[in-house]
Amino acid sequence: MLNKLNQLSFVIGLFFILVAAILIVGYVMGGELKTPINLYSGIGMFLFGIFMVLIKENEEPNS
Amino acid sequence: MRLHFADYLIIFLYFIFVIAVGFIIKKRIKSSNDFLNSNRSIPLWITSLAFISANLGAQEVLGMVASGAKYGIMTVHFYWVGAIFAMVFLGVFMMPFYYGSKARSVPEYLKLRFDEKTRGLNALTFAGMTVFSSGISLYALAKLLEVILGWNFDLCIWAAAGIVMVYTFMGGLTSAVYNEVLQFFLIVLGLSPLVIVALQDAGGWESIKANLEPQMTHAWKYMDTAENNRMGINFMSLIFGLGFVMSFGYWCTDFLVVQRAMIAKNMSAAQRTPVIAAIPKLLMPLIVVLPGVIAIALTQPALASKGYSIPLGANGEYDYTMTLPSLISHYYPTGLLGVGITALIASFMSGMAGNVTAFNSVFTYDIYQSYFVKDKSDKHYLNVGKMITLVGILFSIGTAYIAASFNNINDFLQLVFSFVNGPLFATFMLGMFWKRTTSDGAFFGLLGGTIAAAITHGLTLAEGKGGWISPMFPISSGMGQAFIVASFSWLANFVITILISLVTKPKPDEELKGLVYSLTEKVYATEKKWYLRVGPLSIILLILTIILNFVFF
Repeated sequence: MLNKLNQLSFVIGLFFILVAAILIVGYVMGGELKTPINLYSGIGMFLFGIFMVLIKENEEPNS
Repeated sequence: MRLHFADYLIIFLYFIFVIAVGFIIKKRIKSSNDFLNSNRSIPLWITSLAFISANLGAQEVLGMVASGAKYGIMTVHFYWVGAIFAMVFLGVFMMPFYYGSKARSVPEYLKLRFDEKTRGLNALTFAGMTVFSSGISLYALAKLLEVILGWNFDLCIWAAAGIVMVYTFMGGLTSAVYNEVLQFFLIVLGLSPLVIVALQDAGGWESIKANLEPQMTHAWKYMDTAENNRMGINFMSLIFGLGFVMSFGYWCTDFLVVQRAMIAKNMSAAQRTPVIAAIPKLLMPLIVVLPGVIAIALTQPALASKGYSIPLGANGEYDYTMTLPSLISHYYPTGLLGVGITALIASFMSGMAGNVTAFNSVFTYDIYQSYFVKDKSDKHYLNVGKMITLVGILFSIGTAYIAASFNNINDFLQLVFSFVNGPLFATFMLGMFWKRTTSDGAFFGLLGGTIAAAITHGLTLAEGKGGWISPMFPISSGMGQAFIVASFSWLANFVITILISLVTKPKPDEELKGLVYSLTEKVYATEKKWYLRVGPLSIILLILTIILNFVFF
C-alpha cells in the first residue's frame, strides 16, 4: 500500500475516491448535499478514482 | 456565495494531497538535476498532462470563460488555431533540438546555438516574466477568494504561497509536475458537471444558437472583415498574428511549457509530449469556452427566467472575468461547490508553481551558474535551487502586493509578454532551420523585434491602451492590437536577424551539429505500433482540428 503511494495514478485515484465519498455520503445523509448533481458527480468521480487506482503504469526506458 | 463544512473538507483534502505529493517526492531528490530537471525520468502520460496543465492557470481558465462570454465561439481560435498546430510543430520539429542538445533550459539552447549574450537576454527577460506572472496569479487568487467568499486577502496570499512553497521546496520540479496532473483532473472533473447542467438549463446548443446573434456561434463565418465580428480582427490577422506569431512564439519557445517535454524519459517521449497534450487541448474549449457562451446566452431575454446574470463591473458593464465564479455560484450546491472552488484554487496554484519551477531552473542554471558562481559541487547548486524556490515565492508575494496597488499591472505584463514572446520565435526558427544565422544576428534581431513591438504599440490605440507615441492607428479590440504588435515584432526580428547574419560570421558547421536541422541526424520512430509514433499521431490530430474548425465554421 505504501509503495503504491509512489504511483501518481494511485494518489490521484485516492483523492477522487475521497472527494466522491464526501459527495455520495453527504447525499445519502441528506441535508444540503442532497441534490442529484452531487450524487451523479460523486459517482463519476468514484468510477474515475477506481480506474486510476487500478491502472498499472508502464515503465518506459530512459534515454 | 457561502461554503459549508463539506466544501471546506474538500478544499482541505486537496491541500493535504498536494503537500503529501511534495513529501512523497522529497526522498527522490538527491541532486540539482533531480530538483530542477526531474532527472529526465518522468513518464510520458505525466509530462503530457503537465504540459497542458502548466498552461491551464487561472488566467487561462477564468480568461477563456470570460472571452467565451465576450466574443462567443470565436474564442476557440486560441485552441484550434492558436495552439494545436504549434504544439505539433514543437513535437515533430523542435523537440529533437531541445532534447537532443541536452540543454537544461531554453536559454541554454540559445547559448549552445548562438552565444552567452543571447542566452543572458532571454534568461533575464524570462526570469522576470515568470516571477511577475506567478505573483499576478497569486494576487488574482486572493482577490477572487476575497470577492466571492469574503476571505481575508492577506491570509489567502500567504496561505496559497505557503502551500506552493512547501511542495515545490520539497520536491522541486517533479513535485510541481505531479501536482499539475492532479490539478488537471480536478479542473476537468470539477468543471464538467457545470457545463452539463448549464447547457441543459439553457436548452441545449440549438437554443443557445437561437438566442444569440450569429457572430457569437460561428468561429469563421464573420471573420471576412474586422468590423463584422466582436473581436475586431479579420481572418488574415488572426492566422498570422495568433496562429503563427503568438502561438508558435508561446508554445515552441516558452520554457514554462517546453520544460515539461524536456523532462521526458527519452527522445520519443519528449517528441510525443506536446502532441499527446494537444489531444486534451483540442477538447478544452468544452470546459473553458462553452461555459462563457452558455452564460451570455442565459442573460438573453428569452432565458431570463433561469435567473442567471453575469455580475456587473464598476462601469455598469458586464464583468466578464466573474463569469465562471458566478456560474459556479449559481449552479453548484454545497459539496460540488467545494469541488468547483477547489478547481479554481488548483488552477491558480498550478500557474504559480509552474512559473516558480521554471524560474528557479533558469535562474540557477542560466544566471547564477553562468554569471556568478561556476564550478561548484552539485550539492551547492541543489541548495541554491532550493533557496531560489523560496526567493521566487517571496518575489511572487511581493509582486502580488504590487499588483494590488496598481490596477493595470496585468495589462502591463501581457504587454511585456507580447513584446518578448512575439519576436522570440523568429530567433528560434532561423536558429534551428538556417545554419547561416549568426550570434550577432540573433541578439540584435531579438532586441530589434522587441523595440519594433514597443513602437507598434506606441502607434496603435485599442480600448484606451497604447498610442503613447502617437495614436495614429485605431484598432477596435485590445486582442487585435496584441496580434498586430506580435506580427510586427516577429517580422522585424526576422528581417534584422537575416540582414545582420548575412554580414557577420556564422559558427563553423562542427559546432552546430545537433542544434540546426540541416546538420543534425534525423530522428526516426522506433515504436512498432503506428499509433505510438509522433508522425501518425500528429496527422490525425491536425485532421481532427481542421474538422472541428469546419463544424463550427
